[in-house]
Amino acid sequence: MDKNIESSGERKLKCGDVSKCFQLLESILDGEDKDASKDVLKEKLSKCQPCFEHFHLEQAIREVLKNKCTKQQVPSELAKSIRQKIEDVK
Amino acid sequence: MSEVQKKKYSDKEKNNIFDNEFMPHIDSMYNFAFRLTFDEDDAKDLVQDTYLKAYRFINSFEQGTNAKAWLFRILKNSFINEYRKKSKQPSKVDYQEVETYYNSDSVDYNITSDLRVDTVKDMLGDEISNALNSLAVDFRTVIILCDLEGFTYEEMAKILDIPIGTVRSRLHRARNLLKEKLHSYAKDMGYNADEE
Repeated sequence: MDKNIESSGERKLKCGDVSKCFQLLESILDGEDKDASKDVLKEKLSKCQPCFEHFHLEQAIREVLKNKCTKQQVPSELAKSIRQKIEDVK
Repeated sequence: MSEVQKKKYSDKEKNNIFDNEFMPHIDSMYNFAFRLTFDEDDAKDLVQDTYLKAYRFINSFEQGTNAKAWLFRILKNSFINEYRKKSKQPSKVDYQEVETYYNSDSVDYNITSDLRVDTVKDMLGDEISNALNSLAVDFRTVIILCDLEGFTYEEMAKILDIPIGTVRSRLHRARNLLKEKLHSYAKDMGYNADEE
């Protein structure tokens, strides 16, 4: 049971309002909550273990998705074929 | 989109918009199309059809607005129309999954995950990709739009023709489903996700 050893002793183990907190954290990760200051986030993550874990897991998932699922090779002739079709309908 | 539209752009302007605002998104468009269809030829056709439609209806595009969102909306609509035509019997699993989760915009945020950050980071591209691909199309789509393509909730709402609240709740559910998939992969692959 040694998740996040660093300062985990200072975090509460139960979040007072999971729905509200997780929704806020997800909005921040999605870039939707620009008003939430870094201090608010820092405070939340340093004081609440469930929020800390949720934030870091959600962040990791977004990163792997972004890094590992966008490298589909586009067929080389596709752009040319599109331009050709456009010329035909002009 | 209506056939009746103002001819606001000259041919030169049209080409300019097409080359500079539409074509640069071809990589993202193809990635989206491939993840919707899982087939290279279908993805190519879908992207090509989308670009042809975009050219045809270019006068309804407002220059200076988000071309990528506009193109994605056309692609998504083309996919839905084609998909409905092609698949006479849509996957029952998809429907069940979608119905169970769609009944309201309210979301249960209490679901906790045993998945570990390190486990997620250690996963191979194929595992992540397969987990994403295994989600029902509506859930897969919101993750692609948000996490892969970086659209805002507002842009996603316009692309998908759904309210922002639904975008938010669908995304949350999609990510929970994805976490479940990743967790079961992790167990199968011996990543020790449950080790405590």
